[in-house]
Amino acid sequence: MRHLIIAAAAVVIGLGVWWLLPEPGYDWPIEAPIPIPDVPADNPMTDVKVELGRRLFYDKRLSINGTTSCASCHIQALAFTDGRPLSIGATGEFHPRSSMSLVNVAYASRLTWANNLLDKLEDQALTPLLGDNPIEMGMAGRDAEIVELLRTDPVYSRDLPRAFPNDADPYSILNLVRSTSAFVRSIVSFETRYDDFLKGDVDALTASEQRGMDLFFSERLECFHCHGGFNFTDSTTHANATVERVGYHNTGLYNIDGLGAYPTENTGLFDMTGQRRDMGRFRAPSLRNIAVTAPYMHDGSIATLDEVIAHYARAGRAVEEGPNAGDGRLNPYKSEFVRGFELSDEEHADLLAFLNALTDQNALSNPRWSDPFAAATPVGEQ
Amino acid sequence: MRLIAATTVMICLSACSPPRETVTIEFEARLGDQPIDCETTVDGIAMTDLRFYVFSPVLFRDDGSEQVLEYVELAENDRWQNRDLVLIDLENGAGACRNGTVDTNAIIIGTVPAGDYEGLSLRVEVPFEVNHADPLAASPPLDDSTMHWHWRSGYKFLRAGIETEDDGFWIHVGSAGCEGTVGDISGCRYSNRMVVFLRDYRLGEKVVFDLSELTHMADLEDSTPTDCSSGPAEESCGPAFMRLGVDFDTGEALGNGSPWRVAAE
Repeated sequence: MRHLIIAAAAVVIGLGVWWLLPEPGYDWPIEAPIPIPDVPADNPMTDVKVELGRRLFYDKRLSINGTTSCASCHIQALAFTDGRPLSIGATGEFHPRSSMSLVNVAYASRLTWANNLLDKLEDQALTPLLGDNPIEMGMAGRDAEIVELLRTDPVYSRDLPRAFPNDADPYSILNLVRSTSAFVRSIVSFETRYDDFLKGDVDALTASEQRGMDLFFSERLECFHCHGGFNFTDSTTHANATVERVGYHNTGLYNIDGLGAYPTENTGLFDMTGQRRDMGRFRAPSLRNIAVTAPYMHDGSIATLDEVIAHYARAGRAVEEGPNAGDGRLNPYKSEFVRGFELSDEEHADLLAFLNALTDQNALSNPRWSDPFAAATPVGEQ
Repeated sequence: MRLIAATTVMICLSACSPPRETVTIEFEARLGDQPIDCETTVDGIAMTDLRFYVFSPVLFRDDGSEQVLEYVELAENDRWQNRDLVLIDLENGAGACRNGTVDTNAIIIGTVPAGDYEGLSLRVEVPFEVNHADPLAASPPLDDSTMHWHWRSGYKFLRAGIETEDDGFWIHVGSAGCEGTVGDISGCRYSNRMVVFLRDYRLGEKVVFDLSELTHMADLEDSTPTDCSSGPAEESCGPAFMRLGVDFDTGEALGNGSPWRVAAE
């Protein structure tokens, strides 16, 4: 009897302690000094929401013809890019720009290549889903169809109320973008050999990679001004950030009229602001996993990292012929940090080796970010 | 006593505010003088899109000595009109209107004081205060996801397009060069709002949007389809904006949008 009372008391105390514990926070797969990402207050991270978002991210039914999901242009093995110079939408239309990596996009202070208005994944997600210029997933005007899918699919109908327990009607496009954004935000990974090196494992990088690292962070090459910080981009923010850091740079890829013009379909920030000084300015992407995200630049116009290094060494690209001909080196809006450098063959190889050491196998293969439809058992049914 | 009060109220109702009448203003897509829709080709040209938001329609009444303008009080409904805005949608998603929607709406319904009107003005826009609000929380007619411009933050005030067998031109007009971030837009460098003034319009007549105006906005014979999405970098927008009465360099309305006119029957 006494044992029973003690057991009962233990249960009561245990329940009390459980009751008093704060809401279980989301367990980010990162450790200090990497900061926690900034998460919108109205869309907190939860495991059930992330898992729901994962399924939505890979669901081709969210396209006009059932062919295309978010993952069609954001393939995990390619660090969530698509390997194409320009992405292609559900109906075959080309996007004017190249798919961007989603790894660590939770830390991006602005999203996409050159849209200074977009700072939340929840807002950005509406463009691929609903935009028709170009058509990506092509669901504009099919809002009712989307809601019907959310309401009738066995997994969505079960998990949306669990992910949004305070919503009277959780079957909404708002909750679709919230879930998908939570999943995309969950793709954070800092498990490269470079990260091991920073943690004190001095053998994690080869001698060549270490020399490449020194070159990368040198004033001689200037790479780190735009590609600096823990996520290798100057447009980085996080939960404890005190200043907003947003950077857009003209890297001298084009100079069509000799006055700095970029091709009409890709003028960068200029298209958003109309201010001439913004011509050809694009956001510096993270260089994590850069070796697997070819081809490069906003329009996929450079095929290899070798050529990217050559472009920066020359301080801008000379386009010899065709409608985009012109010497980008002389672009008047070019970043002050693209001023050129000379590398020996060995240095070139070292720099390349360092960039290759930024590949993160965990990001490229961890099943938590993989296609749930590819598994034999539906997600959540295991 | 009660009778006197009631009589006063009745006198006031008739004298203080004149009786109102319901007015319907109908729009029609044409190419030149020919009606056109998504499935009709006129002179080798097909319509691919035609939708726009109407704000603040006003009818003009000549009261002898002075011209009086009367705002059309819009009748709210659950799809096309709220108290401020009407979505005119002249495409039905069929034929060449590949980015279209099935439902259509050709009319503005509202009330004005009974009278003899001549002249109509309206704005083609979504007012700034609502243009940048959360589209997922919007109510009709702003809940139409085909009219929202997620990456520019705001609505397409107008979308129109035509095509020939191997060429075409479409235009999306909305505010550009906005500042701030989505959900917190402080202003836009290019307002790009259009005004329409039809001096001779009389109730019962149709308002035409003449898509042949678009043929003057782009070269339809170079086999290179062009478009304009209101970007300051887009050269193709210049001639189109001129026709729509908007200064492309400033985004200010300079004058009447020429595609809109009174139907000559």
